[in-house]
Amino acid sequence: MTDRSSPVQLSARHLTRHFATRVPGKLFQAKRVVRAVDDASLDLVRGQVTAVVGESGSGKSVLARMLARIISPTSGDLVLEGTPIPARAKRTLEYASKVQLVLQDPYASNNPVHRVRHSLERPLLIHGAQKHEVDDLARAALSRVSLDPPERFLDRYPHELSGGQLQRVSIARALCVKPDVLLADEPISMLDVSVRLGILNLLKGLCDNEHLAILYITHDIASARYLADEIIVMYAGQIVERSRGTALVDTPTHPYTQLLIASVPDPSDPTSMASQSEEHSSFAVPEVGCRFAPRCPFAMDVCRTSDPPDFKVGEGHTSRCWLYANESEAVVEMALPERRREGETTKT
Amino acid sequence: MIADPLKTQSAAKMTESPQHSVAPVSARHDFVLEVNNFSVDYGVGEDMVRAVNDVTLKLRRSQVLGIAGESGSGKSTLVYAMTRLLRAPGVISSGDVKLNLTNEGDPEEVTPLSLVDASERELRNIRWSHVSIVLQSALNALNPVLRVSREFNEVLKTHRKGMTRSQRHDRSVELLKMVGLNEDRLARFPHELSGGQRQRIMIALALALDPELVIMDEPTTALDVVTQREIINELNDLRSRYGFAMIFITHDLSLLVELADEIVVMYAGAIVERAGASELYQAPRHPYTLGLLNSFPPLHGERRELAGIPGSPPDLAELPEGCSFAPRCPFAMQRCRHEAPPLTNIGDSDRSVACWLHSGDPSVRVPVELSREMNPSRTRVTALKERT
Amino acid sequence: MKSLRLPRSPKVIIGLVIVGFFIIMTVIGPWLAPYNPSSTAFAPLLSPSAHHLLGTTSLGQDIFSQLLVGARATMVVALLAGLAATILSMTVGIAAGYLGGVSDEGLSLLSNVFLAIPGLPLLIVIDSYLPVSSRSNFFVIGLIISLTGWAWGARVLRAQTMSLRNRDFVEAARIIGEKRSRIMFTEVAPNLLPVLASSFLFTVLYSIGAYVTLAYIGLTSTAVWNWGTMLYWAQANNAPLSGEWYWFVPPGICIALVGTGLALVNFGIDEFINPRLRAGGLTSRQRRKLGLPRRIRLGLTPVIHSTQNQAVVAAHAKLVSR
Repeated sequence: MTDRSSPVQLSARHLTRHFATRVPGKLFQAKRVVRAVDDASLDLVRGQVTAVVGESGSGKSVLARMLARIISPTSGDLVLEGTPIPARAKRTLEYASKVQLVLQDPYASNNPVHRVRHSLERPLLIHGAQKHEVDDLARAALSRVSLDPPERFLDRYPHELSGGQLQRVSIARALCVKPDVLLADEPISMLDVSVRLGILNLLKGLCDNEHLAILYITHDIASARYLADEIIVMYAGQIVERSRGTALVDTPTHPYTQLLIASVPDPSDPTSMASQSEEHSSFAVPEVGCRFAPRCPFAMDVCRTSDPPDFKVGEGHTSRCWLYANESEAVVEMALPERRREGETTKT
Repeated sequence: MIADPLKTQSAAKMTESPQHSVAPVSARHDFVLEVNNFSVDYGVGEDMVRAVNDVTLKLRRSQVLGIAGESGSGKSTLVYAMTRLLRAPGVISSGDVKLNLTNEGDPEEVTPLSLVDASERELRNIRWSHVSIVLQSALNALNPVLRVSREFNEVLKTHRKGMTRSQRHDRSVELLKMVGLNEDRLARFPHELSGGQRQRIMIALALALDPELVIMDEPTTALDVVTQREIINELNDLRSRYGFAMIFITHDLSLLVELADEIVVMYAGAIVERAGASELYQAPRHPYTLGLLNSFPPLHGERRELAGIPGSPPDLAELPEGCSFAPRCPFAMQRCRHEAPPLTNIGDSDRSVACWLHSGDPSVRVPVELSREMNPSRTRVTALKERT
Repeated sequence: MKSLRLPRSPKVIIGLVIVGFFIIMTVIGPWLAPYNPSSTAFAPLLSPSAHHLLGTTSLGQDIFSQLLVGARATMVVALLAGLAATILSMTVGIAAGYLGGVSDEGLSLLSNVFLAIPGLPLLIVIDSYLPVSSRSNFFVIGLIISLTGWAWGARVLRAQTMSLRNRDFVEAARIIGEKRSRIMFTEVAPNLLPVLASSFLFTVLYSIGAYVTLAYIGLTSTAVWNWGTMLYWAQANNAPLSGEWYWFVPPGICIALVGTGLALVNFGIDEFINPRLRAGGLTSRQRRKLGLPRRIRLGLTPVIHSTQNQAVVAAHAKLVSR
């Protein structure tokens, strides 16, 4: 199991997180459980970008925080470089040095009272750099994210930089600890349109040139298609469809993925205007059956009674939908073991 | 092999929905809004920053004008100042805004009103009943301690004094139906509604008094893609039914291309390009517009590396000499760094651009990306956006 | 952080001048004093004159000297108490707000208890148990006063910290592996600076009141001159009844002035952290110059008509009327 040469840097096994919330207005009623993430498994591979696409409330940010171990899972395990990490163990400094998370809002995630220098030198000092070398290392980190010349940025306060520059600082801060895995939670959604591609290309470069394993979380499926080697779509806490490459965007199989893609403004496709306009987004997630069933135009009886497993719909492409039950047998343990074997063979 | 269920379903829906007729448009007074040489500053004296610089634009009745721009482009400042809603230290420093209101008795008669000279009373009279605004964050726009019905009641009570209680209730239900919500939502509090529902209620409130002009400031930015799609379709439908003109502000140019009739692209407080939606999308003339269009990764076709626009959006307090976009422009020439290009029409066409590449100077070679011809076969399906 | 601007508001400038004046008095007052404040060498109950600017007491002491010398004790105790209380409230407040859970409940309980106990009686009780020798010690008195004055600040700081705790930059610090204590004091605390400053000013104000009260009811050493002991002696000798205003009015005015000054400076902090109070960004002078209304109302963006513009309009109107 502990194959050190495996290209899988970090994998999640059946990660689940439930939150208990009070039903509003009812003081003494039983608490309701919100299933933020249910049974999510994924592998982050060296030199590859894995994209997780979902709307707000799909659990994608909770998943990222569980992978960064800022939130502890209700159940499920993390495996870092082949070493399983118990769910209840405390987050160690060593884990922080391997897995880093970049947050969504660069204006909020940089402390307004500290200069850029502070943001970069703290992680360096925490993770064992010597006092005399931190200045050089901080400069190098800024160059790595194309903030040149570094002197122009080191002594600035966050409010003196633009959103794109600040997000680069956030990425530089994460890179300062020399992580193997970089988790990026909607890194471009708060940025101006014209600088978004710059950040995406930066992530791509880190992946291609420095072989980081990158998790890219987004609500924008087009950017996921642009960047990712594997795309995962989440709905209401579950992974509903995943594919290697862009198969998921080119031939979406799950009704939710189809709805998502049809909703993206796409001037090159004149029919995109024709999708439905009734209110669909306000259905409660059902306790039993497929979570998308109330919104699904193809919902069948089986959808309302039992939760579908993953079905294989193509090479490295699975869909959690009963529509595909006849076309293939269920892939209960997904394509993960297969991938691991594949990684080993490429290594040998 | 794998069915494409959504396409068939949406096609079915399309045939069901009746074609709505377009509201009659006054022939004599085409423009509902005329903005001339409008400038807005923040502060005065030495600390002054010009946020909107010499903007001129016109909006036809029942049309959608899209304003696209990034943060600091002045797009929101423009519409807030235009409606005199901008807070100090924002001041209007030049120009005029003329609103051509139709008279209630005779729709052919039009009274122009200068919003810049209007008194507080006049403004109060036209706001909401003639011009209404939907803001980005419906989350904060609704009073959290009031039921939705109260919001409708207040508006109708203030502006439609003759209405009885039951008439107001009927109108509220009608408005909710209009935006695709069930009437039981009236009894809800804002926190019991989803973001999309709240935004629909804001739209219903904005339409409560049959305004002639509706301004939308990034109404869908805080929403999910699917909800955004629902709201945009709803808006399109409502507009073709009721014939109000709309100004739609967003940073998402591809959304505007679908929604708007005409698009204005703003950069550093000024309009850099103005064109019909299809023209702008298919044949952009300003390098910034081109860059913006290339900043959205496509959903189809081959995956290839895109470059976006180098550099960062400008700081309004330290704008460069000459063209504001020159430092980020791949086609910048010597002239661009000294002289700011004016917004001028291209040839005889209806569209205009502020770029020296299109000054008509024969020694300037227009790059091929910026001289593309319109492809008539690729114009949008006009049936979906049937308008006069 | 924002570069420091000079305060524009006259309120703040007046406040700074007043507080500055008393701080200078604290430093050099005792040297300026013309006589020993305790010396009974003069005739009793002299009215103000060139020799004795504020007259003399019934024991023949120079009141002006007492006022100058008394400034030091009053101000030093107040500043010490303010400082100690602010440090205490910062530690308790930030820890309670950031750590949450059981620590929060314990620390909140503590500060609520101190809030609920009436400060002055507690002060009197503690003070009366002190050995007489330590009643003249600035530090001891200052610490005791701070003990009754920190709880309010702790509550405010706890609430502020709780709103900062979930901010992304705190999470970002946790992600890179920063320790909790460091997050509290290097990431959170600097963002609370305006609140801390404001809380400091108010505890100083409170401490002046508390110290003067203690002295006035005779619970501090009468060997140390402060404005409260002056009032104590004036009261004990029936000065208010026999019309010797020059004995009790000057220390009273000084106390009121310091209080006013501190409150005015606090306006400056409000203005500094809350840009909306900055008169809509335009000073009243700028607004006058532009002919804008004094109060800028919501939903009515001001319009500047340049004079040239107006001249054109006027000329045009004339033409039309003809």
